[in-house]
Amino acid sequence: MSAVALSRRRWSPWLIVAGLGALVGWSYHGTRVDMGALLSVEGLRQIGVYVARLFPPDLSAGALRDAAIAAVETFAISLVGSVLAACIAFPLALGATRTILYHGVLYEGQRLGRAPKALRLGVYAASKTVLAVLRTVPEIVWALIFVFVVGLGPFPGVLALGVHTGGVLGKLFGEVLEDVDPRPLEALQSTGASRLRIVLYGILPQAIPQFVSYALYRWEVNIRAAAILGLVGAGGLGQRVYVAISLFLEHQLLTLILAIYVMVTLVDALSAWLRARVL
Amino acid sequence: MARPADRFPASTAKSAFPYLLAVAFALTFALSLRAAQVDPRLLFDAQALGNVARFVRGALPPKLDPEFLGMLARPAAETIQISVMGMVIAVLLGAPLGLLATSSLTWRGILHERVTRRARLMLGAAPYGAARALLSVFRSIPEYVWALMFVRAVGLGPFPGVLAIGVAYGGMLGKVYSEILEAVNPRPLETLHAAGAGKAGVVLYGLLPEALPHVVSYTLYRWECAIRASAILGFVGAGGLGQQIELSMRMFQFDEVLTLLAVLLLLVGTVDFISGRIRARVVR
Amino acid sequence: MYELRDVRKVFDDGSVALDGMSLTVGAGEHVAFIGPSGAGKTTLFRILNLTLRPTSGMLRLNGTDVATLSGADLRRARTSIGTIYQQHNLVGRLRVVHNVLAGNLGRWSTLTALGSLLRPRATDEAARALAQVGIPEKLYARTDELSGGQQQRVAIARVLIQDPDVVLADEPVSSVDPTLAVSIVTLLRDISNESRKTLLMNLHSVELALTYFPRILGIREGRVHFDLSPDKVSPEMLEELYAGHGDERGELAALGEGTNSFGKACRPLPGFDR
Repeated sequence: MSAVALSRRRWSPWLIVAGLGALVGWSYHGTRVDMGALLSVEGLRQIGVYVARLFPPDLSAGALRDAAIAAVETFAISLVGSVLAACIAFPLALGATRTILYHGVLYEGQRLGRAPKALRLGVYAASKTVLAVLRTVPEIVWALIFVFVVGLGPFPGVLALGVHTGGVLGKLFGEVLEDVDPRPLEALQSTGASRLRIVLYGILPQAIPQFVSYALYRWEVNIRAAAILGLVGAGGLGQRVYVAISLFLEHQLLTLILAIYVMVTLVDALSAWLRARVL
Repeated sequence: MARPADRFPASTAKSAFPYLLAVAFALTFALSLRAAQVDPRLLFDAQALGNVARFVRGALPPKLDPEFLGMLARPAAETIQISVMGMVIAVLLGAPLGLLATSSLTWRGILHERVTRRARLMLGAAPYGAARALLSVFRSIPEYVWALMFVRAVGLGPFPGVLAIGVAYGGMLGKVYSEILEAVNPRPLETLHAAGAGKAGVVLYGLLPEALPHVVSYTLYRWECAIRASAILGFVGAGGLGQQIELSMRMFQFDEVLTLLAVLLLLVGTVDFISGRIRARVVR
Repeated sequence: MYELRDVRKVFDDGSVALDGMSLTVGAGEHVAFIGPSGAGKTTLFRILNLTLRPTSGMLRLNGTDVATLSGADLRRARTSIGTIYQQHNLVGRLRVVHNVLAGNLGRWSTLTALGSLLRPRATDEAARALAQVGIPEKLYARTDELSGGQQQRVAIARVLIQDPDVVLADEPVSSVDPTLAVSIVTLLRDISNESRKTLLMNLHSVELALTYFPRILGIREGRVHFDLSPDKVSPEMLEELYAGHGDERGELAALGEGTNSFGKACRPLPGFDR
């Protein structure tokens, strides 16, 4: 592995700089970015007018209640979606871990027959592929698909987050499982423990705190994503934001934006606190 | 006076915290299940299964005729361009704000030992606080909300997408830049400062050389995220592949959706590869 | 107990760790293995505890051929062999009680094992084992909060729970300080004596080996260099055993003067008082 990395030629810094420069130039041209107009007196004035129109936020009882309901829904989508993701990720991650299936210290003492080995390689390849598919399709596309399958509402949002994040977490979990310290495993194996019991007493105790930490981190990502999914009809704050913008309800829009800000900050703080307790 | 039982706190004291946490989690989760209207039966009723079958039948085989593929070149390129320009703006926003939001540069620590308290608060702490607040607002509002607002302000097309990524990612970059800068070992800075270097000198000769690899590496990592975001922003009218995906989905052209996803996968993979190679080069 | 004939171990990268090793160990014997680093001692122990399979040669345990066992038979054979490693063989995040009870894993069903993680069973058994190794108060401590010496005692307690016929200790004291080393070696010796277990120990310290073991096996370049009682081991033989390993010879020189790393706990060794 390292030999391969060493033998590969490194890209020269000048090539990188020139390449990035060309990329930026091409992108500048293609996106028709007009910073001049944006930062001109007229452009800035227009932004000012738009921002001014947002104020003050709509703090009427009805608007607040609406925002609160949507915020709770968004929170619920992110939480249930993250838990579902962990449930999807865990079994797939076990299947995507070579050191559990056919490789490494647990398999040094004996040889696997040809058929069992092929079966295990198959499980490994299948798990890896499923995880890759789950995580490369963006959550908003999953949301569109699930809205098509089960109809509008927060439930397709939960499914979308669960499936996409399940792919992301499955990959991360698998890396954690392969990276656990093998020395305690060898010790457990020498007591005559079966592989399943070694997973229980040696691998999982080392891996689970990391699992929790990764799941919490993805929860932070998911609270943001849950606020997006409403755009395609999957419930929560996103749906209300879309409506408020389409109907020019600027004051309500600001209320909703504040609600998003509060939710995101809250979940970030909660997750950081929990992670500090776990690790 | 410690009672004998207190002598081995690890062996006797059992904290109630895990149990409280478990109960709180179970409650929140149960309430969330209701609020999110989770109903697994919906997934397995005849209609849902029929829809799944419809989707799969419609998606296979993916649409690969040259005309359609030719039509995708432009939005695919646009997706990359939006991500690149978005990152340029994010760096332009994030770097100065990140510097201001670094307490060791603005008001705390050895560089400010000899400045009066008043001056420190007025000239240092105030801009520091403002920069942090601004960064927090930038990054806590999701990029698609920014995109919706910029579409309002500057019209449809890739430009609002660029601005949305620029602002939202500027907030994230600024925060992480300041964290990286705060973590730099202060000793060399002290030496430079003692030798009479001004703030600019300290930043250029002390901070940047230490921090730059991390800064570049994190920026490239964010670019990998930006390409995904840029694909999604199309959903609110900000150009790129997302717009096509939504269109095809709404028209039930699932074979087109599959092709579009494959193209997106290719783009994301390419960007990840390039960024990964450069990152490996920068951080050795 | 053990019977090895012409055991060879060649690793995938082509390096030869054991090059025709033959030896016999009787039930209840105490044997110390010494030799320069890289001699193949650790590989030998990993073959003896059935973690590695030999490339060729014969390996018998209690008369049965165990070189090519696999599956349930292999696991059953392993339950009769307890191993103590240099360090890092415990799961730091688990409480001590679970690490100790892990000695039962060869006997317990998976369901029992899972249940015990949630609510430890046989805790009095675990407590007794910990009392035997001198740290009864650590039953519910988190393992990574213990010192190196205490962790090694937990590992010994696990072997006590496992209750094997043979105890293999691979450099059990290389990462603890000298006085602790003496106490751990004597603890292992006494425990093995009490329950008539065979004890094989791999030792970095020639001194500990010569002081506490009735049979010394010198290993060099994957072969048995000598197999003698300690009073027959001469300084010249040790010189030869460690030839080409400068720093390890430095320790030998100190042995002769009676001034050694273990202080007063050890007398000058017979044969070294020149």
